[in-house]
Amino acid sequence: MADEARKKEILEKLRNGVIQYDEDACREGANEAVAEGLDANEAIFDGLVSGMEEVGRLFEAQEYFVPEILMCADALYAGLDILKPHCKQMDLGVKGSVVIGTVEGDVHDIGKNLVKMMFDVAGFHVYDLGRDVPLDKFVDEQLKTDSELVCLSAMMTTSMVGMPKVIEKIKAKNPNCMIMIGGAPTSKDLADKWGADGYAEDASNALKEAIKMVAFLKKLRDEKAAKK
Amino acid sequence: MDADPLKQYLKREGATLVGIGDVTEALTSEIMHLNRGVAIAVNRSLNRKTVEILSMLQGLAVGWLSARGYRTLSIPPDSDRRKDKLITKLYKLFCHKTAATCSGLGWVGKNGLVINRQYGSKLSWATVLTNAPLVADPPIRESECGDCDLCVRHCPSGAVKGHLWSVREPRKKIVAYEKCTALKDKRQSLENKPNCGFCVTVCPYSRRASREAGRK
Repeated sequence: MADEARKKEILEKLRNGVIQYDEDACREGANEAVAEGLDANEAIFDGLVSGMEEVGRLFEAQEYFVPEILMCADALYAGLDILKPHCKQMDLGVKGSVVIGTVEGDVHDIGKNLVKMMFDVAGFHVYDLGRDVPLDKFVDEQLKTDSELVCLSAMMTTSMVGMPKVIEKIKAKNPNCMIMIGGAPTSKDLADKWGADGYAEDASNALKEAIKMVAFLKKLRDEKAAKK
Repeated sequence: MDADPLKQYLKREGATLVGIGDVTEALTSEIMHLNRGVAIAVNRSLNRKTVEILSMLQGLAVGWLSARGYRTLSIPPDSDRRKDKLITKLYKLFCHKTAATCSGLGWVGKNGLVINRQYGSKLSWATVLTNAPLVADPPIRESECGDCDLCVRHCPSGAVKGHLWSVREPRKKIVAYEKCTALKDKRQSLENKPNCGFCVTVCPYSRRASREAGRK
């Protein structure tokens, strides 16, 4: 195991690689982390994700714009691809799978991809349906994969109206499944009105919400099992 | 901000043409802040490494602009786009033709390709978008194809319709690309060489460029 100073150096390289959208630095940092026996989970969360958090802050401060965010995300993936195979069971207390996609009529998938990235990072199994996804496809995929979570994204008010239909259908077939919606036109009020379990205005919020929801679901199941 | 030092720099390094376009009108909200397009063209007939040279030139332009504290977004040549990256999603928000016409380096010909007065359609393009307030070159807003319809008559797939391009009608369909693509697929399966290139070689502007290159 590398000493503390060296460890800090590698984590800093990963973090800065993401912030400065330098894919090569992320790849290099990830390879060093693996070669020197750094814990992969730690490298992901204290290196890559820590960098992405700073990117989120820079975005809010309007220092960064959409192109920078996407380049940072590409850099994060460059490191993540190397670190992922070395990850032990993610120690988040929860683990689940998620179906994600942009609803029918909408081809905007930048936000959806950022949310997907956060799920990838957290060790979720992601079934990405892509964009302009027919409403029934969400229902079918959820049943097929038995995912705990379905995430619906929309950028336009015209396509957003498909969301309540999907929510209704999934809940009718599988009331335990949690549904989260997100995207520019959505709001907490709409999520409540349509019976969605969560609403996330941005990628980092979506992740936090998702972990909370899956944890809650597992708790419910455990309680049921305990009663039997 | 004077654009000549950047232009001269890129030309010294191998660019055939460099232009600065005010591309404000063509931008979507994601890239609204990057309202100057640096259009870089390399003459394809020079050698086979056109794409490599373009990528290298783009890197130099990005370096030059970043060193002066400006933001950039490189839109790589069409034939050099990795599909597996997130940033790729933004490439299709902007096309090289816009940068080329806005910077006055050409118009969209009846063949659907950028035609430059000197080099015809024999150029390959790359764009660097930036927020640097570079002085923009005067744009070309109308087609200069005139009555010429050689590419219409010579297109083996009948894809070239013969419409004149104008900046006022950005949505007008000049070429029936599905017909062109169908022929390309067929050629690919028959002789492993998808592009027929008639619409390039038949164009008087391209032919003049070849003649002049031959004379040298």
